[in-house]
Amino acid sequence: MRIVISSDPRLLQVLRAVVTCRAQQAGFAASDAEGLAMAVDEAASNIIRHAYGNRRDATLALEIRTYPDRIEFDLEDSGPKVQPEAVRSRALEDVRPGGLGTFFIKCLMDASSYDESFCGGNRLRLVKYLSRKAGNESPG
Amino acid sequence: MKVLVRSVNNGTIIDCAGDVDLYSSPNLREALMKEMRSGTSSVLVNMSEVSYIDSSGIATLVEGLQLSRQTQTRFGLFGLRGNARSVLELARLHKVFALFADEQEALERISSTEPFGGL
Repeated sequence: MRIVISSDPRLLQVLRAVVTCRAQQAGFAASDAEGLAMAVDEAASNIIRHAYGNRRDATLALEIRTYPDRIEFDLEDSGPKVQPEAVRSRALEDVRPGGLGTFFIKCLMDASSYDESFCGGNRLRLVKYLSRKAGNESPG
Repeated sequence: MKVLVRSVNNGTIIDCAGDVDLYSSPNLREALMKEMRSGTSSVLVNMSEVSYIDSSGIATLVEGLQLSRQTQTRFGLFGLRGNARSVLELARLHKVFALFADEQEALERISSTEPFGGL
């Protein structure tokens, strides 16, 4: 599934709804699906704010792929190339506005990476695995 | 998102309802900044009808907390549930804000709430 939207923050709720629905169809519990929606929301918000400087006339694409063991999200923009090493979440002890989006993405996803071979912008890939079998879970 | 500001006792309550995200958080920010500078004794944000909050919404609340210290305004949140509570805990900010279960508790206890340090 691939959807392309304009970089208008009003459309973030549409992205969240699509991700929540698709994740639940893929077998994620409702609460986990909401977490995935938040991670995608944060990634899209970062694109709008940082890649596009809050412009609303650009576009961003979200591709969702499901597998038996995981779900993947690719977010593509046509903004300036991101230097992955410059994308860092702030220390939580540093209580100030901003800087939490990347932290939330890392908390909510199992993996995130930029496709450095992607031309004409950025492609961020987010991956979340379905829960491990009960026997693999740590006790208590 | 809907933002409604009302006066209660000598303070202000901001009722917030719906999703607080990159699109809507400026509305909450505007209300917060205005009330913090109004000379009111306290500002309480009613989160009981907030169904979703992202990092921009959290940043707005942190900004409000910082301004509350500058203006010597008591500041707290009440009615946190679901996503909003989880997100605040994930960011470990639940110990930074004055949190109350509901409006009644908030009104009873906000006057004895000490300003918070460390910001």
